[in-house]
Amino acid sequence: MKMLKIIVCLKQVPMVSELPWNSKTGTLKRELAQGMMDPCSRRALEAGLQIKESRDRKGMETHVTALSMGPAMAEEILHQAKALGADRGVLLSDRRMAGADTFLTSLILGKYIKKEIPDADLVICGSQTSDSETAQVGPQLAGELSIPAIGYAIDIQLQGQKARVRRYVDDFQETFEMDLPGLVTIDQGAYTPRYTALGGLQDAFDEPDISMVDAHMLGLGHDFNALKDSPTRIIDVYSPTTQKENKVLKGAVKNVVDQLFEEYGKVISHAMGKDLKTHDHGEVI
Amino acid sequence: MMDFNPCMKHQLIRKIVREFAENEIKPWVSELDREARFPFDIVEKMKPLNFFGLQVPKSLGGAGLDTISYVIAIEELSRVSAALGLCVTVHNSVGIYPILEFGSLEQINRFIPALAAGDSIGAFCLTEANAGSDAGGVETCARKTLDGYVINGTKIFVTNGGVCGTILVFAVAEGDPGCPNVFIVEKDRPGFMVGEIEDLCGMRANPVSSLFFEDCKVPLENLLGKSGQGLKIGLTALDVGRIGIAAQALGIAQAAFEDSVSYAKERQQFNKPISRFQTIQNYLADMATQIDASRLLVYRAAACKDRGTPFSAEASMAKLHCSETARKVTDMAVQIHGGYGYSKEYDVERYFRDAKVTQIYEGTSEVQKMVIARSILTQPS
Repeated sequence: MKMLKIIVCLKQVPMVSELPWNSKTGTLKRELAQGMMDPCSRRALEAGLQIKESRDRKGMETHVTALSMGPAMAEEILHQAKALGADRGVLLSDRRMAGADTFLTSLILGKYIKKEIPDADLVICGSQTSDSETAQVGPQLAGELSIPAIGYAIDIQLQGQKARVRRYVDDFQETFEMDLPGLVTIDQGAYTPRYTALGGLQDAFDEPDISMVDAHMLGLGHDFNALKDSPTRIIDVYSPTTQKENKVLKGAVKNVVDQLFEEYGKVISHAMGKDLKTHDHGEVI
Repeated sequence: MMDFNPCMKHQLIRKIVREFAENEIKPWVSELDREARFPFDIVEKMKPLNFFGLQVPKSLGGAGLDTISYVIAIEELSRVSAALGLCVTVHNSVGIYPILEFGSLEQINRFIPALAAGDSIGAFCLTEANAGSDAGGVETCARKTLDGYVINGTKIFVTNGGVCGTILVFAVAEGDPGCPNVFIVEKDRPGFMVGEIEDLCGMRANPVSSLFFEDCKVPLENLLGKSGQGLKIGLTALDVGRIGIAAQALGIAQAAFEDSVSYAKERQQFNKPISRFQTIQNYLADMATQIDASRLLVYRAAACKDRGTPFSAEASMAKLHCSETARKVTDMAVQIHGGYGYSKEYDVERYFRDAKVTQIYEGTSEVQKMVIARSILTQPS
C-alpha cells in the first residue's frame, strides 16, 4: 500500500503579547521575542499525528513532514514537532525571504512543496496564527498548489484517497468529502494538542532530521526580496491599550445623575444599545 | 570564550516544562498546599512525559537527559509547585541515581524501569531521631542471615515517604557501626511500614513521613554496592541530590521574584506604583542579582557532573547559595507585598514557607559550608 505523505505547516510566533515592533517596516523584531509554536499550528500537527497513529495501528505507512518558514531560531519548533512525533522538519529560511506577507509566504511554501514533495497527499495548516490572525496562508497555499481546501476543520477522517472533513459554521456542522491531494486548516478549538515528552525531545536532538532550505535552493532569483516584493504591507501595528480611571461624582443625587448622563450618556447608550433621551426636567427615560 | 546562553534544547525544555506546570499544576497548587494533599492525578499526567526518569537512559525507559536539562526541569516545576518539584527531584536524584551508579546490572534491570516510568516512587532515607547531619549516628541496623538481611530501625522526615515504592535505606551492620550499607527495600516487604504524614510548615503537598523497619527481611541481592560501601553511596547520592535541591530553591526564588515585580508595578501607594520607590527597586535589584548568581552556580555544578569532573564542592556551593537566596528572596517578596504577602490569598506566603526547608534538607547550610571548607583545605597549596 502506498505511503501517505502529510505536510503540516507550522509557524513560530512570539510568546508574549507585548512585542517589540520595527516601526519602519511594520514588522515584528523577532530576534527580541521568545518564540513558541503557534497554538493553532500545534493543533494542525496534532491532527496530522492522530492520522499517522491511526494508520500505524492498521499497519499503513504515513510520513509527516513539519514545514516552517522563518528565521533560523524557528528551527526550535521543528525540534519540538519531531519530539511530538513528526518524521522530519524543514525550515525555509533566508534573509531575502524575511518580511514576506501572506501571499509571498504561501508562494514560497508552495514552491518548496511542488519542488520537493510534489506527491504530498494532505497539507494541514492551522486556521490562523496568534501573531497575525489573517487566516490567509492555508487557502492561498491551496491555490498555489491547485488543490482543494477546507478551512476551520474540527475532524479529518481519511478513506482511501478521500478525506471526510467536519467543521462548524455558525450553529451548523458541515461534513465535506474532499479528493486528495487536498489542504485542510484546523480550527483553533479542535484537536487538543498533546504535551511534549522529555524523552521525545532528547530523541529529537539526538537524531535531528531538519533540513534548512534557502532562497537559492528554492529557485528564487537573485533580485528576490520578500519585504520589497510583497504586494501587501503592514502600515501600522499597535497594542491596544485600555485605561481605567475612577471618578467620584459628588453632590445631591439629582446633580450626580445629571453629571453622569452629561458626561457618560453616550457611553451608557452605546452599552445598552439604545438612545437615552433626557426630558427637560432631567428625568431619564 | 565562555558562552552563558542556553542551547536550543535547554531553552525548549524550559518552555515545555513551564507550559505543563502552568497549565496542569498551577491551578491546583494552593488547594494542594492547603489540604496537604499529594496530587496523584497530576503525577499520572507526568508519567508519560518522562518526569520520573529524567536522567535514566532511554534503554531503561527514561528521557536520557543531561544534568543541565534535569536542573531546568526541576527549576521550572518548583517555580510552580515546590512540593511536586521536591517529589521529582528526590525521586530522580537520591532515589534513582545511586542504583544507576552503584547497582548491579540485575538491580538496574529489576528496579529502574518501574522507577523511570513513575510506577514506583523513589525515596532515600538516612535521617533518624539521633542522626541527620551526623551520618555516623545512624542506629538502624541490618543483621546478616544466610539468605539476606533483617533490617530494624526508624527513619524520619522521609521525602515521598507516604507514596514511596522503592526505598534506599541507610543502615549499619548489626554489631559493627563502622560498616554502613545501603539496601533497596520494596514497599511490600513484610516489616516495612509507613508512619503518619508529617504536619510541616512548607512543602505540604509532599507526603513526608517516618518509615518503620521491624524485622524487615530483604534478600542478599538487595544490598546496593559492596558491603561497607554505604557511606560512599550516601555521600555521592547527596552530592547529586544537592544539585536538585539547589534547582528547586532557585525555582521558588524565581517565582517569588516574578510575583514581586508584577505586584510592585500594580500596587499604588502615594499615587504611584510602589515600583517607583527606590526602596522597592533595591529589593528587586537584590533579588534579581542573587537569583542570577544562584542560577550560574547550579548550572556550573550540573555542567561539572555532565563533564564527569568532580562536582561535590560545586554542588554544595550551589545548594548553599540557592537555598540562602530562596529564603532571602521570599522574605523580600513578602515584604514587598506587605499585609497581602502575609495572607494566603497570595502565593508569596507559600513560597516563604517552602523556601525555609531548602536550607535544611539534603545537608543544612552549615553542612554545605563544612563540605566546601573541606574541599578548600584538602587542595594542595
